[in-house]
Amino acid sequence: MPETSILSDDFIRELMNVGEVDIVVGVPTYNDAAAVGQVVQAVRAGLLQYFPRARAVIVNADGGSRDGTQELVRAASISDLNISADVHALRTLHSISTQYDGGPANGIALHTILAAADLLQAKACAVISPESTMIEPQWVERLLNPVIRDSIDMVLPVYRRHKFDGLLIRNLIYPLTRAVYGCHVREPYPSDFAFSGVLGSNFLSQDIWKQEQGRSGTELWFAISTITNRCKITQSFLGTKARPENAPTDLVKAMRESAGTLFASLRLNRKRLYQMFAFGMKELEPVFLSILTPETHAELKRLAELPEDRFEFAPDIWVRTVYEFAAAYHRAVIGRDHVVQALVPLFRGRAVTFLTQNREASAEEVESNIESLCQTFEHEKPYLLQSWNGGK
Amino acid sequence: MASQDSLWYKDAVIYQAHVRAFYDSSGDGNGDFRGLALKLDYLQDLGINTIWLMPFFPSPLRDDGYDISDYRSIHPNYGTLDDFKAFLDAAHKRSIRVIIEMVLNHTSDQHPWFQESRSSCTNQRRDWYVWSDTDSRYRGTRIIFLDTELSNWAWDPVSKQYYWHRFFSHQPDLNWDNPQVRDEMWDVMKFWLEMGVDAFRLDAVPYLVEREGTNCENLPETHEMIKELRARLDREFPGRMLLAEANQWPSDLRAYFGSGDEFHMAFHFPLMPRMFMAVKLEDRKPLTEILKQTPEIPENCQWCLFLRNHDELTLEMVTDMERDYMYDEYAKEKAMRLNLGIRRRLAPLLDNDRRRIELMNGILMSLPGTPIIYYGDEVGMGDNVNLGDRNGVRTPMQWDGGWNGGFSSADPEMLYSPLMLNPVYGYQAINVQSQKRFDHSLLSWMKRLIRVRKSNAVFGRGSIEFLYPANHRVLAYVRKLGNDTILAVNNLSSAAQAVELDLKAYRGNILIEMFGRNIFPRVGELPYLLTLGPYQFYWFRLRRI
Repeated sequence: MPETSILSDDFIRELMNVGEVDIVVGVPTYNDAAAVGQVVQAVRAGLLQYFPRARAVIVNADGGSRDGTQELVRAASISDLNISADVHALRTLHSISTQYDGGPANGIALHTILAAADLLQAKACAVISPESTMIEPQWVERLLNPVIRDSIDMVLPVYRRHKFDGLLIRNLIYPLTRAVYGCHVREPYPSDFAFSGVLGSNFLSQDIWKQEQGRSGTELWFAISTITNRCKITQSFLGTKARPENAPTDLVKAMRESAGTLFASLRLNRKRLYQMFAFGMKELEPVFLSILTPETHAELKRLAELPEDRFEFAPDIWVRTVYEFAAAYHRAVIGRDHVVQALVPLFRGRAVTFLTQNREASAEEVESNIESLCQTFEHEKPYLLQSWNGGK
Repeated sequence: MASQDSLWYKDAVIYQAHVRAFYDSSGDGNGDFRGLALKLDYLQDLGINTIWLMPFFPSPLRDDGYDISDYRSIHPNYGTLDDFKAFLDAAHKRSIRVIIEMVLNHTSDQHPWFQESRSSCTNQRRDWYVWSDTDSRYRGTRIIFLDTELSNWAWDPVSKQYYWHRFFSHQPDLNWDNPQVRDEMWDVMKFWLEMGVDAFRLDAVPYLVEREGTNCENLPETHEMIKELRARLDREFPGRMLLAEANQWPSDLRAYFGSGDEFHMAFHFPLMPRMFMAVKLEDRKPLTEILKQTPEIPENCQWCLFLRNHDELTLEMVTDMERDYMYDEYAKEKAMRLNLGIRRRLAPLLDNDRRRIELMNGILMSLPGTPIIYYGDEVGMGDNVNLGDRNGVRTPMQWDGGWNGGFSSADPEMLYSPLMLNPVYGYQAINVQSQKRFDHSLLSWMKRLIRVRKSNAVFGRGSIEFLYPANHRVLAYVRKLGNDTILAVNNLSSAAQAVELDLKAYRGNILIEMFGRNIFPRVGELPYLLTLGPYQFYWFRLRRI
């Protein structure tokens, strides 16, 4: 029962007073006093403006701030104890805060927010980063409305970014997620997102909270898990996302949180990738026959018939496959878009082998393997030229 | 009735009845004073000690009697002056006081005063009403009956001028700037006071005087005129009472108490819709907010509280957002809406949910003020929104499951209004006789509620202090008068709730639940933990033993 172990008695008492709600807006914080007041005020304004009749609560999960962050969050409450002439609210709005143990860690904060939303039986839950200083009240509406109105399971953000901001997302997380999972989400590692109460409860019941993904990179795991479980996912344009002034410059840490989680998710989904490869081989056989040479095709068929534990998509056959696809694309043997699409299941097969072979590898070993692959590509380059100019 | 206590209205439990709707003794299809007198034992048994009667004067009945055509008589449908006197004596014998309506602001256009006034511009009563050559005066004045009236002026084709009317165009406003009008209206009031009437509910008082450049409401001149009436009342009829109908915000209402020298009581209009809002939102905020905004009133004054009355559930004193919410939650069908309000009775508004009906009555009876029960609500009567205007909440009282619900021996076609017939609220299902038979009926429960309310003067006269437990679904307050202390705790939610109350100030007291008289644990150092079922409420008497 994760929710009984992660929540303190005092926090449960606060949740009791809040009671059942329609909406939870979670704000994970750690020493965010400089910005969090502005963020929770915008959240409050959004709730009052767009969800005036909903039972809502702002839940702050704090990693042990000593700068008054929690007090700033609590000040956003609207009750009959702090009536303001400027605020016209139909009902009470609680803004509560708790400090979790083992922090600061975004994953634990999210775990706390999920547990609170689950206990309060929230229909929808949004998570807003305290670093989202450009937040406007309509962010709340744009994140939550698809869940409430359209029964979407997860809403991911789309931001207007500076051209040199979000490099890791743009260069690695987004393209890799898109390639591997075939899902075009621009921010798979979101800091502002929303999800349904049902999906939140499902996240909560997963066995990741004692693993590394349960501490860091958890948001990315949420997104990938939603994609791979074929839940309904959508993106909402929120507005400008500013790079926080005190953004961490520790790239290794950032890579660990993002790429590490992403790769870990790929590992978790190796079996599924293998199944998708085998299924693709069977389903797309007529297409492959028009693209690949008979030898390559026969080799791939043989691979698809291997049991999973003996499956190996070797670099040389992968390189020849890619070159034959490139030539088929060049000569437009079938519609070019179909050529590209047909490569997807084969890439999945290659990814399975890459992940399997590098499971226990160090970073240097992985780099060495990639280098080896690159050399194979270079070594087989004449084959590309031959295919390009000749035929199958 | 000899007035033992000039503040009697603070301890009153008022029953609002319409003579026409209560009981028909003559068999002509209309209720009458003889019928009302015959039912006084029922009202005495219910426990109420004051009756407020809707207008019973001669009238064309185009506004259910609020269009009076003779202030010194009884509408023939309801009987005679002698019948009224007999009823009044019978009520007083049962220690029941009687409040009657007095419509000061306007008359019917059929009243002889208006007929004379309109007859020519030089008639001696011409200045008894407000006339104008144009309809552009007092432009800053709102129209109250938005659904039916386009202007506060109406053209009189007889005397070829416009006359002023704040309500229907067939209800011309009297000109209170005219001393003759003021003297005449006082004479009218004296007529009834000398007969023994205990109090007046003065209708539409904010609108008595008009002044250019204002909204013609709550003007200082209006207050001066009310003070003049009150002084005359105190001088000539001490112990009688004036109750104001002024649908205004608390800050504007406060002025009608003056320094204790205007009205004795006034309806707290903004509180009523917020009681419904609080229960629907399951949140005490609307209630505590409006009560926080309610100013202190002089010692000799009192608020009048009600859940429902003969009019629509008015939504004039709420914000646009609150009004939209109320419409969406309580008046889903267009036919349920009228003007800026909702024309429904208590039980249908609350989905006939017995627990919510009890909770709402519990709050009504325990907040500071004098409660009013609208006739039929004590048994949970329904409404008929198809009857037009506000007639749907003015249907005949349902006495039993027999002929015409026991209201009248006339043929059903002769009744002033159709009876409720549907299987949920019809007279066969909801009636006094059937509810008298069971201790657990709503009627029996209401009797107990009134009995407990009357058992302690704290409810009518005590101070109030709100507790603010962290659980916003629970409304809790302490009422105090001298050494008596009562704690009221109300669960506004449809689900069970736990609440911790800060009762440190009452450490050492034992809580005694006032309905069952059971003892609850003594108040100690820790917050006092209570659990409440859905819509449950408790009244505790705090005793230090």
